[in-house]
Amino acid sequence: MAYVSELLGRPVVEVNGQRIGRLVDFVASGHTIIPHPKIVAIVVKCPRANLIVPTTDLAVLFAPAIALTRAAGGIVPFQPEEHDLYLARDVLDKQIIDMNGVRVVRVNDLELTRVNDHYYVSNVDIGSLGLLRRLGVPKAAQRLAGRLGRGWLPGIVPWSDVELLPGGQPMRLKVPSDKIAELHPADLAEILSDLSRAESNQLLESLDMETLADTLEEVEPDFQASLVETMTDEKVADVLEEMEPDEAADLLAELPQDRSRELLKLMEREGADDVRRLLAYPDDTAGSIMTTAYVAVRPEQTADQIIATLRKTADKAETIYYVYVTEPDERLVGVFSLRELILAQPETQVSEFMERRLVTVDLLDRQDDVAQSVAKYDLLAVPVVDEEGRLHGIVTADDALDKIIPTAWKKRIPRLYH
Amino acid sequence: MTFWQRVKPLRVRVLALLAVVGPGIITANVDNDAGGITTYSVSGAHYGYSLLWMMPLIAVALIIVQEMSARLGVVTGKGLADLIRESMGVRMTAIIIGLVLVANLTNTISEFAGVAASMEIFGVSKFISVPLAAVLVWVLIVKASYKWVERIFLVASALYLAYVASGILARPPWPEVTRAFVTPEFHFDAGYVTLAVTIVGTTIAPWMQFYQQASIVDKGLKVVDYGYERIDVIVGSVFAVFVAAFITIACAATLHTNGVQIETAKDAALALGPLAGPYASTLFALGLLNASVFSAAILPLSTAYLVCEAFGWEAGVDRNLREAPVFFGLYTAFIAVGAAIILLPIKSLVQTMLVSQTLNGILLPVILLVMLRLVNDHRLMGRFVNGRVLNSVTAVIVAALIALTAILVVTTVFPGALGGG
Repeated sequence: MAYVSELLGRPVVEVNGQRIGRLVDFVASGHTIIPHPKIVAIVVKCPRANLIVPTTDLAVLFAPAIALTRAAGGIVPFQPEEHDLYLARDVLDKQIIDMNGVRVVRVNDLELTRVNDHYYVSNVDIGSLGLLRRLGVPKAAQRLAGRLGRGWLPGIVPWSDVELLPGGQPMRLKVPSDKIAELHPADLAEILSDLSRAESNQLLESLDMETLADTLEEVEPDFQASLVETMTDEKVADVLEEMEPDEAADLLAELPQDRSRELLKLMEREGADDVRRLLAYPDDTAGSIMTTAYVAVRPEQTADQIIATLRKTADKAETIYYVYVTEPDERLVGVFSLRELILAQPETQVSEFMERRLVTVDLLDRQDDVAQSVAKYDLLAVPVVDEEGRLHGIVTADDALDKIIPTAWKKRIPRLYH
Repeated sequence: MTFWQRVKPLRVRVLALLAVVGPGIITANVDNDAGGITTYSVSGAHYGYSLLWMMPLIAVALIIVQEMSARLGVVTGKGLADLIRESMGVRMTAIIIGLVLVANLTNTISEFAGVAASMEIFGVSKFISVPLAAVLVWVLIVKASYKWVERIFLVASALYLAYVASGILARPPWPEVTRAFVTPEFHFDAGYVTLAVTIVGTTIAPWMQFYQQASIVDKGLKVVDYGYERIDVIVGSVFAVFVAAFITIACAATLHTNGVQIETAKDAALALGPLAGPYASTLFALGLLNASVFSAAILPLSTAYLVCEAFGWEAGVDRNLREAPVFFGLYTAFIAVGAAIILLPIKSLVQTMLVSQTLNGILLPVILLVMLRLVNDHRLMGRFVNGRVLNSVTAVIVAALIALTAILVVTTVFPGALGGG
């Protein structure tokens, strides 16, 4: 195994020992069964022009001088294909996404491994040792690393765990969305905050609607607003419909007024109405952080009827762990948990096992008070009612606590100058 | 078309311009930092109008350089340090960033010198003002919303117009001034050449290129905004040189005519006499203080960002020492060292500020060459590469700068060798 940085610049000699040039790049192809690119050619800088030599003409690569198996004149130059990657030009020193650590890092070096007469890119060196190696002081680096201990992690990441940034490079090895879309939306949001604006837009472009909505929900509203700035209104409206109504309301509140009006018009009636209602409440009140995606049933319904209903409607609700019981006039009269529902006899009416002592908050209660109720009563969600006791929405625990967690703990936009 | 229909496109364009404006104008104002004010003041006080001929040339050079940096930022969407790393590999990056680090550190020292000098006018000892300023700057970086800091700074920058007013009120001989603008003269003595390099260094400081490009990238400006950004850059540059020229004129008209040499900031403050009379010192001190504190906050931050960007280390003002050790350590160290050096017994704060700007001037050709290489790379810039004219002009600027530096070295080491005195 060898490092690309060590190999670059080495002399390339033809079969009779004559030097023809220097090694300046590697061409890698993604057409392999294993998730590691195979080196298919090397780029040799010759006095007159660059020569791309296929690896089949290589006698040895990991040597002080790189020997070919034939004379320079007899080499058929390799024709790179559209998706082939030039390691030095396109990967070295560029930024990539480390899926393991879920962050954006820079490629300091690449490790090549020989397997059965073929050469593959095995690992990416993103650590400081790689930097020192590039500067030409690898041994000193090792000693220093030993001295400093864990502070200087080797920073070697397998190629299968990294992803090139979408769009920036003209050649790609894999379709980005399969690896990236597998990431948890919170991780995606973290990566987004490490990228420049242009790069974040490209990353968002590659996501499907659902992942896009989930990712945006993980991000602070003002950052959300800047991310959707460049998207078309139609796309933003679609995303808003995918998002939970309270999240959509938060985002709309951050956008300029005429744009949010346009977007509300573009959204489907049902979604838009929900969001409009939420937008009506002042900031920092329970009304502004509640969601209307709750499940409500009538007191006369039986346990098995409710389970059947849940099977149909559970998809759209924020949480089904608590189910709320309301009268036809929307007044909240009881609540029960999923556990109680499952443990009850199928024909039992809800009014028999529901909890009548209700913990509620008012629409205009302050968010701190909502969070206190959630914490005090160990609730997963608290219902929001008006003065007449009518149910308007619920505030889930994560949303309630979100607002009061000290900002230092939350993801902050690391933008420099705005 | 109704009046409103006709005006609307214009209104949209003006709003678009205002939305984009920022990086160019701010960078230009930061141009007139402690080092800048001192350099232009010394130029006027010690050499009268004889260095004014450089100003139009420097304005052109500044516009060219800033425009290239803006174009790089808009087209690639990446910062300058990022581009250097991606195009030139680790070794070159280490060398260039190393040089920039040294230059930026001396600039930071110069800003703190400005703080000390301005507060001394109010009679506050540097042992009080500098540590206080250091703490304030550190807190500003970690806690403050940059947008607000920027706005306060910009508003306070209106103080620079005091120089314009003063320059006019001092009633300089305008025919002579105009002639000085268009008649180059050159003296081969160390003092003159040093000042020439210093003037270039303070007007086209390398750190400004990094800062402006990062600022543009951060704003997310795209190619479609580029027309407006160009206007922003040109207006900013012209304004900066305009103010610089007037600082020189004001000092020449008030100090040079009375044979006053600038030893301390208070001497430089006298230049505002025609405008402010007895309040000249206060006005000057406030302007210098504003410029120094803001720049003292920007420089360490900008440096920390560009270093971490180049080497892939964690960065962000919301990260603490454990999460982003290099970033946090760098800006803290910059502020600490910058302030500490000023607390040492220094004979002349003015000299300190000048030396840092001279270093800028010497480093500038290196950065320009790097930028030239980047801006001519088709893979990076597509159709926005430099035209042949622009390349030639920039090459001439680089050659002139290198020549100036060479003359500087010769005249310093072998005074009189080139016939100067």
